[in-house]
Amino acid sequence: MEAFLTQYIDAYYLRIFVLIGINIILALGLNLITGVTGQLSMGHAGFMSIGAYTAAILTMQYQAPFWAALLAGALLAAFFGFLIGIPTLRLEGDYLAMVTIGFAEIIRVFFLNFEPGGKAVGLYGMPPNTTFVLVWGIVIVVILLNAKLLDSRTGRALYAIRENEIAAEASGIDTTRMKVLAFTVGSFLGGLAGGLYAHYMSYIAPQDFGFMKSIEILNMVVLGGMGSIPGSILGAVILTIAPEMLRIVADYRLLFYGGLLVILMIFRPNGLLGDVRIYDIKKRWFKKEVG
Amino acid sequence: MFWEQLLNGLTLGSTYALIALGYTMVYGIIQLINFAHGEIYMFGAFVGLFLVTVAGADLFTALIGAMIFCMILGMLVERIAYRPLRGKSSRLSALISAIGVSIFLSTLMALIRGTNTTRYPNILEINTYHIGGLEISSLQIIILVVSALLMIGLQLLIQKTKIGKAMRACSQDLDASSLMGINVNRVISATFAIGSSLAAAGGVLVGIYYNAVWPYMGMMAGLKAFAAAVLGGIGSIPGAMIGGLTLGVMEIMGVAYLSSSYKDAIAFAILIIVLIIRPQGILGKKITKKV
Amino acid sequence: MYFQGKTRLAIVLCLMMMFSLIAGCGGGTNETNGDKAAGDTIRLGFLGATTGSVANYGIPGEKGMKLAIQEINAEGGVLGKQLEGIYEDNKGENSEIANITTKYITRDKVAGMIGDPCTGLTKVAADIAQKNKMVIFSAGATGEGVVEIGDYVFRNTLLDKFAVPVVVDWMLDDQGWKNVAIITSLNNGYSTALTPVFKQALEARQVNIVLEDSVNDGETDFTAQVTKLKNSGADVLVFTGYYTEAALIMNEVQKQNFDIKLIGGDGLYGQDLAKLGLSAVEEKVIFYCGFSTDQPSAETEAFLEKYRAEYNEEPDMFSAQYYDAVRILADAMETSGSADPTVYKEELAKLKDYPGVSGMTSFREDREPVKSPVFLLTVKDGKFALVNKLPVEVK
Repeated sequence: MEAFLTQYIDAYYLRIFVLIGINIILALGLNLITGVTGQLSMGHAGFMSIGAYTAAILTMQYQAPFWAALLAGALLAAFFGFLIGIPTLRLEGDYLAMVTIGFAEIIRVFFLNFEPGGKAVGLYGMPPNTTFVLVWGIVIVVILLNAKLLDSRTGRALYAIRENEIAAEASGIDTTRMKVLAFTVGSFLGGLAGGLYAHYMSYIAPQDFGFMKSIEILNMVVLGGMGSIPGSILGAVILTIAPEMLRIVADYRLLFYGGLLVILMIFRPNGLLGDVRIYDIKKRWFKKEVG
Repeated sequence: MFWEQLLNGLTLGSTYALIALGYTMVYGIIQLINFAHGEIYMFGAFVGLFLVTVAGADLFTALIGAMIFCMILGMLVERIAYRPLRGKSSRLSALISAIGVSIFLSTLMALIRGTNTTRYPNILEINTYHIGGLEISSLQIIILVVSALLMIGLQLLIQKTKIGKAMRACSQDLDASSLMGINVNRVISATFAIGSSLAAAGGVLVGIYYNAVWPYMGMMAGLKAFAAAVLGGIGSIPGAMIGGLTLGVMEIMGVAYLSSSYKDAIAFAILIIVLIIRPQGILGKKITKKV
Repeated sequence: MYFQGKTRLAIVLCLMMMFSLIAGCGGGTNETNGDKAAGDTIRLGFLGATTGSVANYGIPGEKGMKLAIQEINAEGGVLGKQLEGIYEDNKGENSEIANITTKYITRDKVAGMIGDPCTGLTKVAADIAQKNKMVIFSAGATGEGVVEIGDYVFRNTLLDKFAVPVVVDWMLDDQGWKNVAIITSLNNGYSTALTPVFKQALEARQVNIVLEDSVNDGETDFTAQVTKLKNSGADVLVFTGYYTEAALIMNEVQKQNFDIKLIGGDGLYGQDLAKLGLSAVEEKVIFYCGFSTDQPSAETEAFLEKYRAEYNEEPDMFSAQYYDAVRILADAMETSGSADPTVYKEELAKLKDYPGVSGMTSFREDREPVKSPVFLLTVKDGKFALVNKLPVEVK
């Protein structure tokens, strides 16, 4: 399959498609935390780096099978997501945002000092196990599971927390558990994407997972539409392709990018596909009864 | 060495405090993390540089010039990127808009000036004074004095003037203030103007102190200042000052006595611990959740 | 009702965009399958940053490369074809250089790539180049583990592991320094790789390392580190990072009123060192590198004249090494009679005693370049000036 693809699709485009897939997984993870549950997290790149480094070290230094390394990276990221989820019991809004920023910075500094991770030089030469088919296979599974989750009782509980936490609690939702759950699942996806990224680029360094990366992921979620699966996908697609397309205007591309964010927020403050849910699409387009 | 390091910390901390004040004032009134604030600070530094190198201004003129320029810039940013969003969209879209402005402004300066670090000329003659074994440079004295004067001035403005009273009213309840006949838009503009001019002063002082400015200096400084504001209790003006000084001293002491390799991690770790113990920051008011 | 006409439109547009992209790929492949390399020009890709924190290496590098291409074309080109340089700015970022390298190879169909000046970035690009059987010729990577990536990877630089022991001998025997402080730039791969090389060389001579400290690229506040340095009793400071931070550290040293010299590698070789540091770096900062405009050889002299005439400024090590890299690559293509990387790389590996403008270069069996001598430079009257020339012996 891979050979077939490389024969017919330019490697440059193939590369961008793979990066789109990885970004979709990242965006869907953050969407669960910030978009759906409304807990502002500005440190998603931190979870990504945990997954990336764990998986890379396992495959390179312990010759672990790729799938096991990926899973281990994602689980470790999920564990840290769980830990970060706990302060959310006490912290809200911008205080929480600050904790997530701080957490991601601490992780970055940790890896800068981490000898097995190659410090600032980073890790290099991971086996290139991440393929187009694998990434998009995982993307499809993640989308389906995500849609299933959001369409369930749990999913509606998460939305309820975002809309009004007190009302949600009054309606008998265990908000604490739900918030920690969102953080755990969201960071699991972040770690998974990190592992895939590491084994695609074959090179990772702490600088790749800085504050700007977290902001980029957040932008995907907000631009596409908070709490919407198609929105996060669209956001990831646009923000991966846009820098490549704008390469022609090289120096000005970040200028456009910044300006575009402002204009988009003014004219479509809820993102391009704000709150469009998968089952709405099913309902509208396939005229299928839902619920 | 301890006292010299403490002095280093206080100097660094007072520049953080000047930037943090802008964050906290804006936050206190419209609950927006003004991510572009770091870039306003950067612009202040560059305007000061322009005045000094091209117009041959002295410290005082450069300071005033930069403050006026950034006052206008701050109001402009608010008018273009935040006001159209106010009231009709979530706080998150406003935040993304702010990130857009931040990217736009830093790229703009990078296009104008190039991305290299530029030297800030010595406007003042540097003298070193010996006070009981402690070495203190005239630059440090100037930075501490100017920051202190600006902060006292701000405190007087907030407590004694009519616009200050209006700002305090707005920070308590925007709608009620509006009903009382306060022109809320004007108060918000004024808040941005004051906050931005303080950041500009911080920019000029930092430029003189470290002899260096570059277009991306705003991001990390902004992040640190935001951390300082949160640490002190976001929304509280004395809190921002205390937060800034605390963070500066903590950072320097971390380098001096613990490990410079974990500098940023130490600062953020302390921040997270403080927030978990005291979620509203050092001087913040406890927020009661409203239904 | 969440789902309205507008949103549906947005989804349709999004899908259309994706399909058009796929369609675009198809078209692209057909066109590029026409083998551009066999067309009218031979393309060379430039790897380097012309903006960002390492732009001081990329900008002169690009100028050197352009000058070489211009000259070769004026002399009639290579294999009867004109050379064409393609220049993308990688900003010094890993993900950028990865995308640009892929773009050069698959879309621009280059015949070879010149760069990057930084070791870490070169490794990212070299990995992709090796997998795609494309020659990459670094004009600045001095750290470990570059040519080991594979037989398509070359470089023409003075290696840190050869130069540092020579420099350490000079520090101890010539200057008589005994107590050394080392500052590393923690988020700089070049610096974290160079520090162990220095430490090993210092420890081999049983030198007392009195202080080990760190800074970060992009920071401006070094007050705490410099206060520590002042109280450490060090005779000399070894800083392994880049020019910007070196200048700012020396500024702070000047402010704190004490006298110490800063020794570093060719990461300090940037015009901004003098511009940022002014009197604080004058004859205080000394670094080693593989090029100097003082006491030039005949080849270097000719290059200096052409460069000055073209750009009205002084060339530096990076312009010289990019210039040499293009020349060496073109020679290899000419001699082997092919612009196909799989063919001319064999010729390239045989390079011996090439009289480049950046010194005499030979490749060892493992393709590591051997260059001599080491130049020690400092800043004098705002310009780089030669302090000493030290011969390198490589077994």
